Amino acid sequence: MARRTGKAGRLLAGLFVVLLAYLAGVQVVWGPQLANTPQNPRLAIAAEQTRWGRILDRHLAVLADSAVRGGLQARRYVDGPLYANLLGYRSSRYGLDGLEARYDPELLGLPAADPWETLLEAFGRPRRGNDLVLTIDAVVQQAAAQALGSGRGAVVALDPRSGAVLALVSRPTFDPASVDTRWLALARDPASPLFDRATSGQYPPGSSFKPIVLAAALASGRATRQTMVDCASSISVDGASITNFEHEEYGRMSVARAFAMSCNVAFVHLGLATGADSIIRMARAFGLGRAPGFDVPAAAGHLPDPRTLNRRGLAQISFGQGNLLVTPLQMAIVAAAIANHGVAMRPFALLQVRAPDGRVLAAYAQHGGRDVVPPEVASAIASDMADVVRFGTGTAAQLPGVAVAGKTGTAENPHGPADAWFISFAPADHPTVAVAVLLENAGVGGQVAAPAARQVLAAALRAQAAEAGRP
Amino acid sequence: MRILCAGHERMSEYPANPYGFPVDRGVLHRRIRERGLLAGAVGLGVVGLATVHLSLYGAEPWDPVVIGGIALAAFLVVHGALCASGSEADEIMLPIAAALSAIGFVMIYRLRPEYLVRQAAWTALGLTALLIILAIPHDLRWVRRYAYLCAAIGLALLAITVIAGVERNGARQWLLLGGVAVEPGEIVKLLLVAFFAGVLTEQRGTLMLPGRRRWRAELGRLGPMLLCCLGALLLLVFQHDLGLAMLYYGIFMVMLYIATGRMDYVAIGLAAFVSGAALCYLWFGHVRVRVDVWVDPWADASGGGYQILQGLYALATGGILGTGLGAGHPTLMPASYTDMIFPAIGEELGAVGTFCVTALYLILVGRMFRTAMLARGAFEALMAAGLATALGLQAFVILGGSTRLIPLTGIPAPFLTYGGSAAVANFIALALLLGVSARTAGRRHQVEALRGAADR
Repeated sequence: MARRTGKAGRLLAGLFVVLLAYLAGVQVVWGPQLANTPQNPRLAIAAEQTRWGRILDRHLAVLADSAVRGGLQARRYVDGPLYANLLGYRSSRYGLDGLEARYDPELLGLPAADPWETLLEAFGRPRRGNDLVLTIDAVVQQAAAQALGSGRGAVVALDPRSGAVLALVSRPTFDPASVDTRWLALARDPASPLFDRATSGQYPPGSSFKPIVLAAALASGRATRQTMVDCASSISVDGASITNFEHEEYGRMSVARAFAMSCNVAFVHLGLATGADSIIRMARAFGLGRAPGFDVPAAAGHLPDPRTLNRRGLAQISFGQGNLLVTPLQMAIVAAAIANHGVAMRPFALLQVRAPDGRVLAAYAQHGGRDVVPPEVASAIASDMADVVRFGTGTAAQLPGVAVAGKTGTAENPHGPADAWFISFAPADHPTVAVAVLLENAGVGGQVAAPAARQVLAAALRAQAAEAGRP
Repeated sequence: MRILCAGHERMSEYPANPYGFPVDRGVLHRRIRERGLLAGAVGLGVVGLATVHLSLYGAEPWDPVVIGGIALAAFLVVHGALCASGSEADEIMLPIAAALSAIGFVMIYRLRPEYLVRQAAWTALGLTALLIILAIPHDLRWVRRYAYLCAAIGLALLAITVIAGVERNGARQWLLLGGVAVEPGEIVKLLLVAFFAGVLTEQRGTLMLPGRRRWRAELGRLGPMLLCCLGALLLLVFQHDLGLAMLYYGIFMVMLYIATGRMDYVAIGLAAFVSGAALCYLWFGHVRVRVDVWVDPWADASGGGYQILQGLYALATGGILGTGLGAGHPTLMPASYTDMIFPAIGEELGAVGTFCVTALYLILVGRMFRTAMLARGAFEALMAAGLATALGLQAFVILGGSTRLIPLTGIPAPFLTYGGSAAVANFIALALLLGVSARTAGRRHQVEALRGAADR
């Protein structure tokens, strides 16, 4: 009987050992994640009792801080409308959005609470959240907003080497401080100012898709830059007539030149030769058709299934029309991947988390990248994109003293005038900034989007030079 | 610990005993060790109470802290009594009960300060009961004669509760006696253990006989126990007290196995448990709610799943070191000072706190079963094993339940949770176990028993 008693005792003791292992899981391993679930009422209590952390740009210029009025804390946004699409808002009535929502636990100082801080709080010191340092450069953001003017559209500027987002602008915008008072008007506004066009607006890419077709053709070996293609004024594919923009007629020319001139007919030939499989696979490799995994929710866009694509459909996507949808953020990544020797870096907006005393609690230099095309293909496309700006459709993006590479796009859409695209990077030989500009219903990419991109590139290069000059 | 103990005993086997009462130096070492552990437990409680007082109720009078401290100091009185009687009782179980009581006091003071004095009084009453039982000079065999009476009283108590009981927190498990709410289920637990031990001691010889099994005869022998068990379970299901039902059934199965070693009983018992649980799930709405909430608390996060989710958030918020006493928000949990006291510990004292409490129970289980293994005579051994199972299983059911390891059923965690009947019942169980451990003879007997256990 003693033996069985021992067995029973060991069984019961085993249950407690299981409990210990389980507790280690709940409290230690998954603890932080579970504790930061928005449903945890302690978060709301902490939010009330905490001075929210500030949000700063990469040079520590304040973008958002908070003030206490009448015992209640209110968010203050410096230049609120300029950053509203990225920063989001912090409303007692409508909750959180954007980076405010994404990094709420950090702004409330919840993870990695300093035991010393905890002790001071116990003695009544108000709790302070951590500051966020963004990758955004206020100067570039400002320039991007100016370049967009009063139109509807978006600008995304990246550092192609790291994926750091330098500017992310969406127009029209809203004042995040007015969310509480103007919510219904904002939500019902037909121009949808609450909608972030930069990360979530989905548009046909038009000719700005051609770098991907070119990449597929070069990578699959179906063509070289010197391959001669026919650029007649129009072509008929299975009964559908496809024409060049304004019906230009160039005759036979090299692939490189057809790219610079953005010849649709030549790219239909190229696309038909390359095949739907290669093109769609290349587009997927560049990050189209899936969410880019950014700090705030970003749309996936749409790529057609190559199996369902007939010759007509293939001809259409060969110059960026048809069943294709992309976001400005995705197109900025496309430009950045070509600029970065064929490696697409994951975009990110959070550079550092800093304690209230300025100590850096977490710092991010990059979030890894993936190989999209071989470096030699990337550099071939890069030099063709430089030709676009040198003598092709994108001459309006030229900057004095710096070679700019780019690709125009004029995307026809059923909702009115064409959307204007320009994707670009500079300097063309060793790029440090990549920019995508989209202007809704604004017309020809080379005429409206290219000059806008030019301003953003110029501002970003100046800002980087100034940053390099700093101690 | 045992090696250390054996070493002491070997060294001290021969010197003459200068103390007048039958005690060797090994026993003396036991009591000295007990004194140290108890002092630590009481100190822990007093420091904890003072911490809570300073951080939360600084402006109010210190009376509750003093009263709590006095109740904890009563453990030292028990220790004194054990010393004076030269008892050879186990030296670990009492300090563990004291430590759990101390942690319980601290948490009750933090979560429901107005209940601390009441809990202190109940603890003092429990310790008094413990002293009285320790003073009984006989071993436990006399209980055997009243086994059936125990069962009758137990079932009657449960039946009265069903008829005249009052409902609190959805379970009809309380009897009002002169304004004081008592929970008969806790006392019934002890009565059932005594009954099972008595019947099993009588029957185990025939039940263990090798050869062809005669099912009808066996059913006849097990009949009274099965009836009693079934009756208790039915009454508890009507009371909506699933935790106690699970506990009683678990005690019955473990004792049946220990007494007979029959794996076929265990298999049948487990099958009966599974099918019974399935039937309860289908028939009783409150059972279904409990299980559904356990499987997916997020499905009804503001309703049925609220309590268990708050428990999980509390545990997660506590992390490794906890928020510190008084710095968390454990009162967001419903029933934080009873059913959810363990997650409350997890929030304010962190994984360090929950690990310590779990480890205390783990060691307590070890010492209780060790006592049962060394006990002399089948009845005492079974009784001790039953009590050990009762306390250990009860702790696991509520600790696991409040952390969503198993479905949550509200029963008190022994020595820890607020609750008077449970405190008294558990101290009685502790007294019986201490008595059993004291009656196990000296070293030779222990070694033989342990070696025998290993051989068999």
